[in-house]
Amino acid sequence: MSREPPLPALVFWAVLGLAPLVAPGWLLAQLAQHLGYGLLALSLAWVWGQAGLLSFCQALFFGSGAYLFALLALGRIPGLPDSPWLGLLCAPLFSALLAFLLGLALLSARIGSGAAWAVMTLVLGVIAERVAVTSPWLGGSNGLVGVPPLAVPWPSGTFELVDPLPLYLLLFAATALVHLALARHIASPAGALVRAVRDDALRAAHLGIDPLRLRLFVFTGAAAIAGLGGGLFAAQFGFVAPPLLGLGLSTEALVWVAVGGRGSPLAALVGTLVVKGVEELLGRWLEAWWPLAMGLVVVAVVLAFPAGLVGGLLARRGRPVPADVAGGARRAAVRTSS
Amino acid sequence: MLADLALVLLDTANRVLTLLLVALGLAVTFGLMGIVNLAHGEFFLLGAYAHVALERLGLGFWWGLLLAPVFVGAAGWILEVVVIRRIQDRPLDSLVATWGVGLAIKQAVVLLFGPASHTVAPPFATTVAIAGTSYPVYRLFVMALALAATGLTILLLLRTPFGLMVRGTVADRGLAAATGLPVRRLDALAFAYGSALAGLAGAATAPLMSVDPQMGVGFLLPAFLSVLVAPASGAFGTVVGAAVVGGSESLAATVVSPVVAQLLVLAGAVLLLRLAAGRRYGRER
Repeated sequence: MSREPPLPALVFWAVLGLAPLVAPGWLLAQLAQHLGYGLLALSLAWVWGQAGLLSFCQALFFGSGAYLFALLALGRIPGLPDSPWLGLLCAPLFSALLAFLLGLALLSARIGSGAAWAVMTLVLGVIAERVAVTSPWLGGSNGLVGVPPLAVPWPSGTFELVDPLPLYLLLFAATALVHLALARHIASPAGALVRAVRDDALRAAHLGIDPLRLRLFVFTGAAAIAGLGGGLFAAQFGFVAPPLLGLGLSTEALVWVAVGGRGSPLAALVGTLVVKGVEELLGRWLEAWWPLAMGLVVVAVVLAFPAGLVGGLLARRGRPVPADVAGGARRAAVRTSS
Repeated sequence: MLADLALVLLDTANRVLTLLLVALGLAVTFGLMGIVNLAHGEFFLLGAYAHVALERLGLGFWWGLLLAPVFVGAAGWILEVVVIRRIQDRPLDSLVATWGVGLAIKQAVVLLFGPASHTVAPPFATTVAIAGTSYPVYRLFVMALALAATGLTILLLLRTPFGLMVRGTVADRGLAAATGLPVRRLDALAFAYGSALAGLAGAATAPLMSVDPQMGVGFLLPAFLSVLVAPASGAFGTVVGAAVVGGSESLAATVVSPVVAQLLVLAGAVLLLRLAAGRRYGRER
């Protein structure tokens, strides 16, 4: 799906924007956390749904953003001042740089799609978690705690962003802006080129499109989004730990996006909020049955709703989703529709 | 000094051949059939737990080793028929779906057996003296088993009518079906065979490690890397791939920390794939 129908997105953001009027503080705090994960889901929906790069290491960029924020906020990087705001600025930049280097290494080795790419990203995520666990500088398996929050100067002294409401508004603004930018990119000619590479890289190359450059662009950009989400996560909770980088969170994000629908960022966002919300409601009650149910739900969704649950609904409103939303299949024609 | 060297070499050979045993199933399902089964690590896990369960039922070690692959092969058959077949033309989706299956299997194991680790006693706890160092006999047995399973797989694929039909199906489905081959049954059979190999690997290595729900992950990734860097798909290539990945990781780990060793192996794998990129040109998927 190339262009999201604007009405569902408007309704979605209007409901979330009005939430502070009625929702209690604990719910706002929870929603703020889930919106942070929503940034991770947006990043995955971009690389997977648009560029066809099924990434099993998207949390690596979420976690690296979180770690960089924590390191800068705690002043653990020599030569740089301890500043949360600098951390929030650098988190997406660092994640993007990391993704650029890793993506360049993989993509220029022609590991651009399909199995090899997926396996390589799996390995990257696992190794990143082990690096964090074994590095004392990164706090080992305990991670880094006591990360100072973001603070703004206020007439009556400094105002620290620790309460649910300001944090929620911050996450709301960040996620909404990223969603808007991503939706605009997807509807633009550049977004159509990305999908052309996804559907048939060889044909796109023959039409004069450089698949490597476009894939690298999306991988790097998506990592920046994930890094921003990670930085905001660290600012919100005041701690970072190795699981933020690892395979567990990466594949959890895969569930959100698969269930919601990878073809549209809005569907991925809704998928995240719904799955995380249901997990908060039922997770304690279902305990060990929750991952089992999640696994089966993913299989069922992939088999029965290839466009995702929300994505399918959105597609019924807008233009039809191409039969092959997975992309990469040779028989799929290049779709240059905008 | 000689004893130290012998121990390093034996440990490396052990690591390589154990990895080969795990990667062999992938060589069939991934290398030959092109299906990325992310539940392969959980099939390995199922093999080990089937072994534990069969021992609890009072069946001896050898029955466990024999029946666990049969059980896991049946699980592979079901997975192929229920899930993979339906999304054959959506390769990325089959990745996600098999990952979901793996998650469900792993969690079912946790629910049935608890998160704690189990042990399987090796049938022979003796050691044997080799070049001045003593080495457990069971490890040598697993190494021999890996070589035997590889040899049998190569014979099965290259020297039997079944192998010929499977290779024909992979090479050209349409033509194979038109000549009357039961392509769907061959798919399911070949996939079940690959899964059974994972079960065999799990059952055979269970006495060498603690059997816990996370044991599949540690082997899945090196096994996938082995098949990826293999110079040719199929069992022959996988021997080389497992030797490169397992050997370099095991040898590097004697000099640097295990994490650095893994990083080196990953970097090496990317480099190898890059060198091989020219050969793969045009069929990049």
